[in-house]
Amino acid sequence: MKSNVNYLVAAVFVALIFFTIIYVTAILPATTFTPNKSDVAWEYSSSEKRGRDVYRREGCFYCHTQFVRYQDREMGEMVKAGDYVFETPHLLGTERTGPDLSNIGGKYPDAWHWAHHTNPRAVKPGSIMPSFSYLSNQDMTDLVAYLQTIGQKRVQPRWIVAPQEFRDKFHGVAEKTDVNASSFANAGRGIYMQNCAQCHGVTGKGNGSVSMTMQKKPANFTRPFYAGYDDATWYWRISEGVPGTRMPRWAKTLSDEDMAYLVAFLKTLPKPPSAKAGDISVTDYAALDQPEEMNQNFWEIEAQKHGSGESDPFTAYSEETKGAHE
Amino acid sequence: MNIIQNICSELLSDKPYSASRNFIISGVFWLLIGTSLGLLAAALMTWPDIIVNVPQMSFGRVRPAHINVVAIGWLSMGYLGAYFYILPVLVGRKGVWNERLANLTCLVFNLLVFTGVLSILNGYTEAREYAELNGIFDYIVLVGLFLSGLIGFKTVLTGPEKKWYVSIWYILGSLFWFPIVYVIGNRAFVAFEGLNDAIAGWFYGHNILGMWFTVGGIGILYYLLPRFTGNPLYSHTLSMIGFWTIGMFYAPTGTHHILQSPVPEWLKAIAVISSVFLLVPVLTVLTNFFMTMKGKWSLAAEHIPLRFVIVASIGYLLTCMQGPFQATRAINWYIHFTNWVVGHAHMALLATFTFIVFAAIYYIIPKVTGRKIYSKKMAVWHFWLSLYGVAIMMIILTCAGLVQAAGWHFAIPVDQWSVEMYPYMFIRFLSGVMIVLGQLIFIFNIYKTVFSKEAEPAPNSPTGIAFV
Repeated sequence: MKSNVNYLVAAVFVALIFFTIIYVTAILPATTFTPNKSDVAWEYSSSEKRGRDVYRREGCFYCHTQFVRYQDREMGEMVKAGDYVFETPHLLGTERTGPDLSNIGGKYPDAWHWAHHTNPRAVKPGSIMPSFSYLSNQDMTDLVAYLQTIGQKRVQPRWIVAPQEFRDKFHGVAEKTDVNASSFANAGRGIYMQNCAQCHGVTGKGNGSVSMTMQKKPANFTRPFYAGYDDATWYWRISEGVPGTRMPRWAKTLSDEDMAYLVAFLKTLPKPPSAKAGDISVTDYAALDQPEEMNQNFWEIEAQKHGSGESDPFTAYSEETKGAHE
Repeated sequence: MNIIQNICSELLSDKPYSASRNFIISGVFWLLIGTSLGLLAAALMTWPDIIVNVPQMSFGRVRPAHINVVAIGWLSMGYLGAYFYILPVLVGRKGVWNERLANLTCLVFNLLVFTGVLSILNGYTEAREYAELNGIFDYIVLVGLFLSGLIGFKTVLTGPEKKWYVSIWYILGSLFWFPIVYVIGNRAFVAFEGLNDAIAGWFYGHNILGMWFTVGGIGILYYLLPRFTGNPLYSHTLSMIGFWTIGMFYAPTGTHHILQSPVPEWLKAIAVISSVFLLVPVLTVLTNFFMTMKGKWSLAAEHIPLRFVIVASIGYLLTCMQGPFQATRAINWYIHFTNWVVGHAHMALLATFTFIVFAAIYYIIPKVTGRKIYSKKMAVWHFWLSLYGVAIMMIILTCAGLVQAAGWHFAIPVDQWSVEMYPYMFIRFLSGVMIVLGQLIFIFNIYKTVFSKEAEPAPNSPTGIAFV
């Protein structure tokens, strides 16, 4: 009898430990782990919500994940905890038979998604995705509306723009050189081939012969992203180089006129964005937030938006440079 | 009228061990359905256009149906069938505490799986892996688990034998833990927001394996092993260490399924560490297995159920060496998200726990019906087809997983290498054909054993060697 009591004490003790473990690892995070919503988190409209339900109902998440990990290359920016605030129930997924969908929003136009869901192999020959031709028009509309929201804000181009002093300087240069003229662009091509093609490649794709030795790869000017560069920003980047990369300050070598020719040439390289995603326009650069002060970069604006204090390196940098410019 | 009465008295009889028999027969039926659904899913991955425009046969719906039928319909019901034989025998009573209630539980489970699989195929799903049963079905599962738990505990507590053999610990443990895990893991009961939903979801996703299939399966294994070999269990102390460490180390491991997602780091660290610590219970089980088998390996030539136990134990060894290994960050970053993990899951649920239930069925059916298994040849065919099927599937899915991982990590666009998966998927389909063929033979064998008019009575054989 005595030994039974001993067993009982032990059993209660172990059961307590057991429940503590369950509580700590399954329930407790719900109270302590409450990330703030990031700017990527998307509050779904009713149609998008219905589309999300279609996504769950058809089991899309069995083959498509929705998180980009640090080791995933060419899948876009890594996800943050705050991105998932409205993702209830979660659709993280567990196996990738098809691609990760964290950044699918805006990548393809709506019509592409319709064609792809109706007959996947018509647009992607190697795909083994099942055909969802049985979905009703309503279901398909909602599903595509949902897909176009995923990571939508993450894929919008973000760039920095030239500080005001360079805008003024470029204004002076542009009076002498018309950067929209094809003859100047042609002249710029020669300068590009002599000075830039080793790294950026003869077609501007960033795949020049030297690029393979570089940790930080040269810019690919054919990306639609560079269509957002204005003339002064091109000029500023050429003139001052790109900090943190091997891009040198060409102002030390080239004349203002040469750099203006280069601007005229580089402007012709970016391809127009291929996607036009319904009402969510990814090509409408004018609608994007433009920096109020021209010597701010994107990160500074972000830091101010989120109200970070002085300790933020970007804010600190901004204060410093502001003083310098004044 | 008479027929209906017969059926009713059969389905709700209070004959001793009738619940065990009914559970096993329904489980075997659902096994065939479940593996066929799996085969259909494998076919859809090989030839995506063989079925179009049938929503119920789309891959995204067939896969969860397959998982739920094999997990709830086959394995859980097979386990309960084995429990309701093993528990009364171990506590020295005839039949479970309330045989009629146990038969009612069996009806509840059958109804649940039947309506549940139809609901999943028609798109009514919770969309959470291993927990696709939605809304009302969650409550039915809970009712079924509560009833089984009640019967299990009552059977043991009111039985004459007060000294519990280790199997009783394991079986009652699983009956106690699984309802808790089920409640936390289903949105019908516990609904969290955002990533916390994923944490709770994977707590469930891993612990349906850890707290239910592993604990219950090992309980059955510990019962069958001494019976089949005639050796006493090597060490009770080791088995009890295994039991308590499973309880400690399995519970926090769920987060290793979302190891690179932005959930708190401490949670991931706990998950990885306890995954590695799972080697402790695994090694206790395997030490017990190999030491108990000592000197009796030659039995496997004649003893068909023992063969299943041996395969299950070796499957358990491989699965559980793989598990901690692939839960570490160093390995997980590469093989996560690929078919490697699918192979691992089939290794655990098919090669290990399903094989344990096969062994239990070949032993228990003659015990509860008093009839010898209809055909030994069929049992042998069932064994080899299932074994080769699962071995080929495991190997080919592991290879496919490595190819897939290379595709992802070298950033090759998926539509350029998904055609490269075809040979692997095709061989996987063939292994599925072998498995389904094996189960067809199995169900025919069991059907003939249980329902044929004239049957050979089961011989008196304590080790069960003469049953098959």
